[in-house]
Amino acid sequence: MKLGTLFKDALHALFSRAATEPYPNPQPNETERLRGRLMWAPEGCTGCNLCVKDCPANAIDLFVLDKKAKQFVMRYDVGRCTFCGQCMQSCRFECWHAANDDWSLAGTTVDGFTYYYGEEDDVERVLAEPVEEHPVKV
Amino acid sequence: MTELLQVLVTMLFFPAGLFLLANAMFYQWIDRKLVARLQDRVGPPWYQPLADTVKLLANEEVLPFGVNKWLFIGLPIIGLAGALTTALYLPIAGLPPAYGFPGDLIVTVYMLSMLTLCLGLAGANTRDRFSMVGATRTLTQLFSYEAPFLLALLGPALAAGSWQLSDIMAYASGNWLLLTQPIGFVVVIIGLMGKLEITPFDAPEAETEIVAGALTEYSGRGLALFRLGQWVELVIGLTMIAAFYLGGIHNPLDYVIKTLFPLLIIAGLQTLMTRLRIDQTVGMWWRYGALLALVQWLLIFLMGGGQ
Amino acid sequence: MTPSTDRKRFTVPIGPQHPALKEPGHFAFDVDGEIVQSASVRLGYAHRGIEKATESRTWVQNLYLLERICGICSHIHATAYCLGVEKLAEVEVPPRAQAIRSLVAELERIHSHLLWLGVAAHEAGFDTLFMYSWRDRETVMDILEALTGNRVHYSANVLGGVKYDVDDKQAATIREGLDFLEERTLHYLEVVTTDGLFLQRTRGIGVMNRDEAEQSGVIGPTGRASGVHRDVRIDSPYTAYAEHPILPVYESTGDLLARFIVRLREQLASFEYIRMLLDHLPNSPLTTRMPRRVKEGEAISRVEAPRGELFYFIKSNGGDMPERIHVRTPTLCNIASVAQLVIGQHLADVPMILVGIDPCFSCNDRTSVISQDGQRDLWTWDRLRQYGINHYGTHYSKDIHR
Ligand code: SF4
Ligand code: SF4
Repeated sequence: MKLGTLFKDALHALFSRAATEPYPNPQPNETERLRGRLMWAPEGCTGCNLCVKDCPANAIDLFVLDKKAKQFVMRYDVGRCTFCGQCMQSCRFECWHAANDDWSLAGTTVDGFTYYYGEEDDVERVLAEPVEEHPVKV
Repeated sequence: MTELLQVLVTMLFFPAGLFLLANAMFYQWIDRKLVARLQDRVGPPWYQPLADTVKLLANEEVLPFGVNKWLFIGLPIIGLAGALTTALYLPIAGLPPAYGFPGDLIVTVYMLSMLTLCLGLAGANTRDRFSMVGATRTLTQLFSYEAPFLLALLGPALAAGSWQLSDIMAYASGNWLLLTQPIGFVVVIIGLMGKLEITPFDAPEAETEIVAGALTEYSGRGLALFRLGQWVELVIGLTMIAAFYLGGIHNPLDYVIKTLFPLLIIAGLQTLMTRLRIDQTVGMWWRYGALLALVQWLLIFLMGGGQ
Repeated sequence: MTPSTDRKRFTVPIGPQHPALKEPGHFAFDVDGEIVQSASVRLGYAHRGIEKATESRTWVQNLYLLERICGICSHIHATAYCLGVEKLAEVEVPPRAQAIRSLVAELERIHSHLLWLGVAAHEAGFDTLFMYSWRDRETVMDILEALTGNRVHYSANVLGGVKYDVDDKQAATIREGLDFLEERTLHYLEVVTTDGLFLQRTRGIGVMNRDEAEQSGVIGPTGRASGVHRDVRIDSPYTAYAEHPILPVYESTGDLLARFIVRLREQLASFEYIRMLLDHLPNSPLTTRMPRRVKEGEAISRVEAPRGELFYFIKSNGGDMPERIHVRTPTLCNIASVAQLVIGQHLADVPMILVGIDPCFSCNDRTSVISQDGQRDLWTWDRLRQYGINHYGTHYSKDIHR
């Protein structure tokens, strides 16, 4: 029977830097594969809609302005996204990637969670149209 | 008139009253910070105990169904008052005690127990099951550590040949009783941990079993007062240990150093131990604690310390 | 609580909200003084309707929904689902993907067991061990993050393979982390087996011998601590376990201490296994083509989650959504044993015994309605809600004597 088996650890802890850190941590350790905010680049997109279909959280929507001219706008709701990475997997044209430096995504209001990706004029055209609600799959 | 003013100052500011409360919060912070550092955590900022207290005082106090209202409100006040009163007989901050009379040692020790009694009563007063179990445990624990704790505190008194705190302290300031009565020192430190319900003796408020023990139904003001009372007891206990065992207290700096030393020990022990079940606590105190204290007494007599 | 002469009826409720439980579950312990006389378990507070929800999502979407059944053993849920669906779709998953599935599963086991060690230490009031074990757990969390990009819900699986590869650099980080963790695990093994005060709280507490364990059907580390030789990884190997068997860990004393030892030694086995896997990673693509519609049929898949056997039943009608998925999590098998184990124990040991099975309530809660006359029965939202109100209402009016 022994007492104080953690004595050495405690002594070491007392004289070294604490393992916990105040938030926000001054130097976030970003890992290369960290899945932060999802980014979409319109180049290469064929409008196949696979990513939208596979997204388990219904976080993304594709607006097809002109399929032939490849004018697409992607609406992405970071508040719904679960960062599962399925969209990156589903897209065969590598339109999606996760930003590993943009991970502090919480907010104090409900605004600012929706992003529109695409060419600037296309996005403007989409925004000008009356907002259609996201179709909830049943 | 000046006498009245003096009494008021003694009661409200120094050594009882505000100064002691501030002191208690400071020591509470040191304890928490030390434990946090020993556990490899950052720990709370220095104002945390104050912030906690202010927050609790601002909270609504919920009066639970089926309690005796007067007891519910009165008990925390009595408990805290008891703890604060003891400061009058002790050299808080290294200054000579405000009052003293033969036998004030016993009064002090019983005043300290008042808080625990109030805690037990407060738990038994509510109809909450966790409080009831907590109250039973609090009182059971009181009866287990009290005797050894008292015996160990009487060791220096025996050696000094007086039951007045100032006499004992005068005697102790010449002799480091830590060296002549090491067993008593150990028993007192562990007894203090029992009194403050610090791990490993936190069975009465074991959160994973009985939520907050006797205090489960308390919120707001009552909770704040009970907590303050416990922190005050920490300071009082540390002062007694320093004055009795660590060669007396001569000036404020001396006071800080000598009270922080036992606090460091307490924080260390607290970090390294597992909570004991209440039956194990009782068994430990009666099997070892009381025995150790008696052995210490025997040694004092053999060495001819007792007059 | 009314003052009552019948001392046996002093019931201490633990849950649905209680500091010892991080999830809702209800336990009622009748105590005489500090000794528990009888106990009852009541589940179902965190029923989330996931099984039903799977029926309206595609096969791909379900992967992520099912992964979220449990926040701790998420990967293993996804693996069980993938294995079942792949069996149905008759898809052969490349060996490298299978090996990586095992690799992540073992990493997950390490993180789960370290988490459990902390929680169990906390229940015993040994907060320092709790803090240290969770601090060291960060190492394996970092490894998982580096490997997959997420600390929890790694989403390493896809139907037909895995998403993330292990390259040499990562293998090196993993090995480095494992070395550190191995040292720490050995240290903790020493702590739990030698610390006098801690032993007082674990040795000989909540003893379940092998017969009792077999009878109450406990599984996973809880069962293995009582000498039940049951481990899906060995009994019916899946992913890489067929080719590279893992070393099983058994204890025989069946007390809380044995449950600590089994879990810690399982970690040691996992370290060895991961190192071995890294040495023998087969070369192959990571994924294979997966049809969007899955052939009609039924499949069962069993895997060894950190808490014990995890069971999936999957039924397809040939469409792009499953017809029925049923999940049985290990906690369901283990939880009933708590009601037996606590009898005669001190109230103070109850949280320890409860945590000893490593319960996970919200993974566990299911609703089944069995109609014997074969009629179809439609439960609307309102009806379910009313049922809940009546159910808990009557239960509590009995319990509260006010
Ligand atoms: S990461 Fe997952 S949840 Fe987020 S947008 Fe992509 S598919 Fe949807
Ligand atoms: S899967 Fe890729 S190509 Fe298809 S719509 Fe999505 S982004 Fe475009």
